[in-house]
Amino acid sequence: MHIPENYLSPATCAVMTVAMVPVWTHALKRVKLDLPKEKIPFIGVGAAFSFLGMMFNVPLPGGTTGHAVGGTLIALLFGPDAACLAVSVALLIQALIFGDGGVLAFGANCFNMAFILPYVGYALYQMLRKVTGNRTAAAAIGSYLGINAAAFCAAVEFGIQPLLFRDAAGNALYCPYDLSVSIPAMMIPHLIAAGLVEAVFTVAVFAFVRATSPDLIYEETAAEAKKGHIPVFALIAGLIAATPLGLLATGTAWGEWGADEIAEVETAGKALGYTPAGLENGWSLSVFMPDYAFDGIGEVPAYLLSAVIGVALLIIVFKVLSYVIGSRAEQHAA
Amino acid sequence: MPLKLPDWMWEQEAYEPVGGGNRFILQTLKSLGGVMARIRFQEGHEKKHCLPALVKLLLLLALLILLSVSRQPFVLLALTAAVLLYLATWPGKDIVSILKAPVFAGALAFILFIPAMLLKPSGIGNQILVTGKIVLSVLMVNLYHHTTQWNHVTQALRRLHLPGILIFTFDMTLKYIVLLGRLMEQLLTALRLRSVGRSDRKYDSVGGVMGVTFLISTELSREMADAMRCRGFTDDYRGL
Repeated sequence: MHIPENYLSPATCAVMTVAMVPVWTHALKRVKLDLPKEKIPFIGVGAAFSFLGMMFNVPLPGGTTGHAVGGTLIALLFGPDAACLAVSVALLIQALIFGDGGVLAFGANCFNMAFILPYVGYALYQMLRKVTGNRTAAAAIGSYLGINAAAFCAAVEFGIQPLLFRDAAGNALYCPYDLSVSIPAMMIPHLIAAGLVEAVFTVAVFAFVRATSPDLIYEETAAEAKKGHIPVFALIAGLIAATPLGLLATGTAWGEWGADEIAEVETAGKALGYTPAGLENGWSLSVFMPDYAFDGIGEVPAYLLSAVIGVALLIIVFKVLSYVIGSRAEQHAA
Repeated sequence: MPLKLPDWMWEQEAYEPVGGGNRFILQTLKSLGGVMARIRFQEGHEKKHCLPALVKLLLLLALLILLSVSRQPFVLLALTAAVLLYLATWPGKDIVSILKAPVFAGALAFILFIPAMLLKPSGIGNQILVTGKIVLSVLMVNLYHHTTQWNHVTQALRRLHLPGILIFTFDMTLKYIVLLGRLMEQLLTALRLRSVGRSDRKYDSVGGVMGVTFLISTELSREMADAMRCRGFTDDYRGL
């Protein structure tokens, strides 16, 4: 699943790296808070462990072997935040020292394998464990779906390339296969083979550790009260990463028509056919970024930049609000 | 007195262990060995007087971005010419080891793109361009790590002011890949030797091998933390 250099456009690589920044910041913060000081060296050892896990060849039916990524397993053993850091470091070493996975595509690879895989796998495991009470089944299903979610993200990243980045003649500049090809091409092998390898590997190691020293497993040591901001950070990262998808929707969102578009709006098969006078002559707010595009910048980079700016503004607004509310509450208390 | 052996020792035995079943152990051992050899005996040649690792890393990043963004044949040709000229000054042995990965990556990309090229002949130019870019960028990354010792890579990352805890983790990981890799090698060899003749379902012990590795790795990391504390470490990763 390591995306090599140049299959993705530089813009996509940049967006994915930006999307990872809040995740990495969050993971670093949580690890510093959650992990006891003497466990910090454990992340490095965990990264080595995850790196070696990828070397492990698990036999597949038909005499071939496949290797597991082990992202969910690392999350089960070390906790999802430490897993995120450990897998990121393992991926960095693979990119810089082993030439496995692109250096520019590092952000994208981390998004799929260090963010989506461990967090999705771990969240599903927690949920299923609470519902069914069966840890083995929860670990199996969590790791199977975790790796498939990561593969799906990789497929979408590949698949949006020909839709977004084309030359004047309409030919793809990077990966030439669109979503209709990339999703089945990535998902079928993962659903049939790689997901099973991952599940078998995860369950085998997890069961062994649980049988021999259950106290080492993350959930046994983690206090319940530590509910972090994972959903928020996941949402932000996901939003940034998903912005290019917005470009694919050809129509304007319902209710967001411009004055020049509204005449063509169809209702129950009939076009509106006229432009409401109020809209035609009305006052138009000349916003900073009309339709998210600056003059002189291409549509795609402008869209991405506006996504980043939008998210940053949202965070700033929320921080200011929470500060104001917090200080008022303090005054009240005083 | 002539040596007298009991009869049963004279019997000819033709024991052939049942084949198969070793495949996963052998494969895993092979990939483990390859990885560890690359870290322990980095066969590259880092000259005494070469660019600092940080400059090389930044140059590599700049060239990769240029390569990825640029669509002008002149830029790409100039870059190819420069990289190949530099490579041409190297000894043959190093050239071979460096060229393997890019040739493989290029071939893989080409095979992947064949259906696209057949379906849409007007895009052939672009696909060949992308394939060329892939070969060139893998070649550049290979050149980088072939001429830079990994501890210098760590140094370069530190100069980039990444958080100290990350640099520490990066460094630890490289060291523990070798330590834990050796451990796994021993476990797998023991498994292989002790299961001669019982060759089916050897991979049942995947969980055992990785599980033991995990347990020992927790032990090692605790010892590491203790050793750090004994040497006066004060939870300040910046000064490491």
